[in-house]
Amino acid sequence: MKPDLSIDLAGIKMKNPVMNASGPFGCGWEYAQFIDLSKLGAIVVKSITLKEQRGNPPPRMCETASGILNSIGLQNKGVDRFVQEDLPYLRNYNVPIIVNVAGGTIDEYVAVCDRLNHVHGISGIELNISCPNVKKGGAIFGSSSRSASKVVTEVRRVTNLPLIVKLTPNVTDIVKIARSVEIAGADGVSLINTLLGMCIDVETFRPELASIIGGLSGPAIKPIAIRMVWQVAQAIDIPIIGMGGIASVKDAIEFFLAGATAIAIGTANLINPQITIEIIRGLEKFLEEKGFEAIWEIVGKVKID
Amino acid sequence: MFQVKAHVLLKEQIAPGIYTLRFFCREIASRAKPGQFIHVKCGENRNFILRRPFSIHRILGPDTFEILFKVVGKGTSCLAQLHPHEILDIIGPMGNGFTIDDGLKSTILVAGGMGIAPLVSLIEEIDLQRIRLYILQGAATRERLLYFMYLKRIARKIFLATEDGSIGHKGLVTDLLHVAIKECKPDCIYACGPEEMLKEVAEISSEFEIPAQVSMERRMGCGIGACLSCVCETRDGYKRVCVDGPVFDATEIVW
Repeated sequence: MKPDLSIDLAGIKMKNPVMNASGPFGCGWEYAQFIDLSKLGAIVVKSITLKEQRGNPPPRMCETASGILNSIGLQNKGVDRFVQEDLPYLRNYNVPIIVNVAGGTIDEYVAVCDRLNHVHGISGIELNISCPNVKKGGAIFGSSSRSASKVVTEVRRVTNLPLIVKLTPNVTDIVKIARSVEIAGADGVSLINTLLGMCIDVETFRPELASIIGGLSGPAIKPIAIRMVWQVAQAIDIPIIGMGGIASVKDAIEFFLAGATAIAIGTANLINPQITIEIIRGLEKFLEEKGFEAIWEIVGKVKID
Repeated sequence: MFQVKAHVLLKEQIAPGIYTLRFFCREIASRAKPGQFIHVKCGENRNFILRRPFSIHRILGPDTFEILFKVVGKGTSCLAQLHPHEILDIIGPMGNGFTIDDGLKSTILVAGGMGIAPLVSLIEEIDLQRIRLYILQGAATRERLLYFMYLKRIARKIFLATEDGSIGHKGLVTDLLHVAIKECKPDCIYACGPEEMLKEVAEISSEFEIPAQVSMERRMGCGIGACLSCVCETRDGYKRVCVDGPVFDATEIVW
């Protein structure tokens, strides 16, 4: 018998625990040339804001040792155009749609979530309180438990959709923040977002990115993500979506063992647009070979004496 | 667009540190157009993770095509170590190539340094259509003027510039564009090279009110239009070089 990969993530029924991480996947349609999107556990849409955002000036990305540094700056068409132009297309796939929501003020987060409340075909919200790219907002909300819990409380008031909060690793104690968003009403947490970083071109003496500072992602950050997922899993009862540098089946399994109920793949999509599907297949094979009947049997099962 | 495992047929060093790489790959070769590119995973080294974009250099038939590259970093160093029969993971053909309008009678191509790469496949197409072809080629030195003999044979006239003055005009290739336009009266200009050169081509062509197509270069992430890393500023806001380009109408770009 094939192992059961299905999960219930904060009330979202998923056929498997593998989704894309918000950002490099856009709204998914570019990837539909390479994979069947309906095979994913869920699609997580790139950050949506209330109004259209132009994004940061280029260069927006540079390569680092086993990773990339980016500062796209939340370029998106705004919630209204997302609902009109992208959502009808995404609804064609038999897959839960999770919308990542970003904002510069609490009112903005609330307005976007309120707008999404009245729309058919959305399975959940992922609140981006951790994007390090926006000067005001973003990082500020996620970097203290007080502001994190405030924005979650306000959004919770206007939405009945499953609410997942995406945490930033750029804090002294991520466990404290995770606890506070759980208390404020979050149904799940995603971690980790990118780590703040900087690169300098030694020929020109200039920063590699036009915005000077960017977010580091890719295999380089995976051990940090695993550590944080494990620490947070000890402290909260709501499910965790683990992410940060996943590029292989082994990477994904590490996250489950550390305590993640689901995983998301970001940067690796840039290199291999079929990576999500390959990891779903690989997980099934791994469970089968090890004699497990379901994915939940390995969640949090790292052996610590 | 296809993600395929393509066989390397041939690697040839054509100048110091500059190579052509020939692939056997029907999916891409049979569909590729001049100006399009492929996205190459340069080996399995996980220290550098991104693919590298290379323009389609020559289309040799329905099964084979070439890229041209100079060794500048980790990715291209890996490619320079390849041997025939090795297999590379490539995606392509990607992006919008050059457009050859019906009724085009005369054209100037401006190539700066490695900017010759996508123009060779365009030249072959232009030659097939019997359009009058003039070429402006510039490089740092005489040795860096790639395919100079071939270009000289195929073009009605070639204008050369080298930064060190070892052959042709001493200076930039765009120094020659005014004179060339007056002499050749092109209907259209095609250009690929450093961004400063493209900017100059855009200015001069607009002065003469001649349409120009320029091939832009940016660091790329996904190459398929999703990650928004490779944008350039245009009159309609940021556009993605990977899918909205790499070839743009020169008047579209905000330089």
